[in-house]
Amino acid sequence: MLRLFTAVLLACTLSACSSGTATADGDSIAVAMQFPPRSAYAFDADDGALLMTLGVAETLTTVDAQAQPAPSLATAWEQTGDPKTWRFTLRPGVTFHDGTPLTPQSVVTALSYITSVSAPPRAVRDIGLTVTADGDDAVLISTSQPDPVLPLRMSSGNLGILAPSAYATGQQPSVLRTATGPYILASVAGADSAVLERNDAYWGAKAGASTVTVRYVTDPQSRALALQSGDVQFAEGLPHAATAQVESAGGTVTAYPAARTVELLLNQAAAPFADSRVRQAVTAAIDRNVLAAKVLEGAATPASDLFGSAVPWGATTAPQASDPATAKRLLAEAGHGPSSPLTVRLWTFPNRPEMPVLATAIQAMLAEVGITVEVTVGDYSAQEPKILAGEFDMFLNSRSYLSDFADAASVLTSDYTCKGSYNIDHFCSAEFDAAIAGLSSTGDVTARQKVFAQAAAMLTEQAVGVMIVHPNNTAGTRGVTGFTPDPLGVRPVLPQLQPAG
Amino acid sequence: MRRLLRRLALLPPVLLAASVLVFALPRLTGADTVRTVLRTRTASEAPDPVTQARVAAEFGLDGSAVEQYFRWLAAACRGDLGVSFVTRTPVGSAVGDALTISLLLTVLALVLAVLLGLPAGVYAARRPGGMLDRTVTGAGVLGVSVPEFVLAPVLVLVLAVHAGMLPAVGWGTPAHAVLPVLTLAVYPAALTTQLIRAETIAVLASPHVRTARAKGLTDGRVLWLHGARLATTSVLSLSGMFVAGMIGGSVVVEVVFGIPGLGRLLHEAVLAQDLPMIQAGAMTVIGIALVAGVVAEVAQLALDPVARERSR
Repeated sequence: MLRLFTAVLLACTLSACSSGTATADGDSIAVAMQFPPRSAYAFDADDGALLMTLGVAETLTTVDAQAQPAPSLATAWEQTGDPKTWRFTLRPGVTFHDGTPLTPQSVVTALSYITSVSAPPRAVRDIGLTVTADGDDAVLISTSQPDPVLPLRMSSGNLGILAPSAYATGQQPSVLRTATGPYILASVAGADSAVLERNDAYWGAKAGASTVTVRYVTDPQSRALALQSGDVQFAEGLPHAATAQVESAGGTVTAYPAARTVELLLNQAAAPFADSRVRQAVTAAIDRNVLAAKVLEGAATPASDLFGSAVPWGATTAPQASDPATAKRLLAEAGHGPSSPLTVRLWTFPNRPEMPVLATAIQAMLAEVGITVEVTVGDYSAQEPKILAGEFDMFLNSRSYLSDFADAASVLTSDYTCKGSYNIDHFCSAEFDAAIAGLSSTGDVTARQKVFAQAAAMLTEQAVGVMIVHPNNTAGTRGVTGFTPDPLGVRPVLPQLQPAG
Repeated sequence: MRRLLRRLALLPPVLLAASVLVFALPRLTGADTVRTVLRTRTASEAPDPVTQARVAAEFGLDGSAVEQYFRWLAAACRGDLGVSFVTRTPVGSAVGDALTISLLLTVLALVLAVLLGLPAGVYAARRPGGMLDRTVTGAGVLGVSVPEFVLAPVLVLVLAVHAGMLPAVGWGTPAHAVLPVLTLAVYPAALTTQLIRAETIAVLASPHVRTARAKGLTDGRVLWLHGARLATTSVLSLSGMFVAGMIGGSVVVEVVFGIPGLGRLLHEAVLAQDLPMIQAGAMTVIGIALVAGVVAEVAQLALDPVARERSR
């Protein structure tokens, strides 16, 4: 028995050693991605943006560093005489990965599919989008109302253009060898891994590696260990604590802002937060600089308003330090003090590990000004119906402030207008709604960005909620060069990576 | 045999009762299935009521719960487990693929656990209180105590990062299976060792073994033919429980090593309220648990004459 066991153990060890670990092989690389495909690479879900990040799929437009629309599969666009219609000129000489050419009809097929699904992505929902071919090199895209941001809308990862063969089955489109990007999606193994091959017929700059093995690793520490061990040469979403380990193994870790805000939402539909003095007191009591620097150990930037430095219109100044004396005074004015102490419930969820940690720290900060906070950490799906019904006091939420494309109108509308579908804190202001309504006729992107900044300032001024921190994204490289962060999350990342040496 | 037939006859009603529970429990969580599914597909989604109603109708969630249950049961009896709400692909193939991986990991881990635990337990039982016994018992206590979420990163750090012998994450080559199998094997190996040791000590002190020794049987034959063989029967019944537990419950190992197994699939399906996936995955695990229990019982009857006698 002992001999048999020894033999099996030896065989196992030899098999393991001979298989070796995955390392950069020639100009092939392996990467560990944070978010696996949730919906089998469906374009009408976040997987559309994932395909853009991988460098597989492309849209008619992309965005530049200032979040302005820039050419991609379309080289130019103009509003026609009919303000409800835009004409997009297609890039000549583009072929899909299956060898067929990009034509106006293929764009019509792709965009018509995405508008026909049962839950169309927000980029095209309820805008009556229709597409028709216009000659041999252009498409006409119309909406039921004039849409000043249609070129920007077309950069949404949900609006990738696939070859007509992808839609042939009438089911969810097949993304294998049907897109146009610098990488070809050659094979997928569910939500576990995928293999990308360089598209040598690509119309733009060629991708850096000949093949990329994409591994989807949901555990952050495992991604860091995979990078340290040389299993992968690029890993996104590394835990802050792993930075030193990765760097000591010869890797480089880059932190960059994410278009996300952790916000403490205050229910204004009921006492005590219907009183703006109580909201202001909570704002004054919370030290966001401490939360970002000490509690999250620098893994986030303190938020001074809804938008952070990930977007051109975001605030870059640090928030004011906490002011417990002012908080106590405001609470006293609102009728709360030692004789009538304030007790509130704070709900949050554990899906993002920083949330319970922040909730506990906020609880301690509010205790210092006399507010007793009862923290409940629960499943978000179970909490949401009660939250939307207004049956809560405080809710610590983590929210991306860009939805689908580099424009904040959608989030500002759904989260903060009186009839918003995700207006958790039940904020309602005619002045705010008017400002947001004005966006429907504002086509100039720079002017829109000014409105976004003004809207965020209004939310801060009225203490709608407390914008706590903007989390940072991180990415580690080891054995590759060329990584450029994309805070907007809409541009290809993998094609830039060049195997070192 | 009669006992076995009774167990087999119980399988259909138990499965039917389980199907009611598996169908009802996710619906009792209070979560809004349509919103949760849509948010799983698009993280920042805030669907409007019209979209929600359209999607609910598409998922078949617009009828009564009883109607939905019987529709699901009828389809499942025909072998149609439905389409995932999240991926919009058939759940049968997804569960099948994940089950194959989990089954492989489980079998390898249990075989390794027995290969380690059986000799360790038997040799430790030879001289209770001796150096080998104390070492094996100490290692057993450690093995039972160290949780997988600690053990897995430690093994990765030692064998993948520092020694560079094995890949840290992923699935696809034999090398990728080594660390997860080692991690999964530690707990059942430690438990098997302790169980075998205790059972063997008891068997060796029994009258029939004393008689065998008196008849001149060698120590080795006494130890392996009488001691270990009978001690193994209790391990077999334990293995039946381990199989189902490890197939559906290896979430930590599957997440840490990035393995697309059934535990991870089920965990993600529960978070996403992917009802067809939850139902198919949970029923599969329950089915395996029931079958594994019966198989363990058959094996126990084959090995243990006393149990055989009792079952008549």
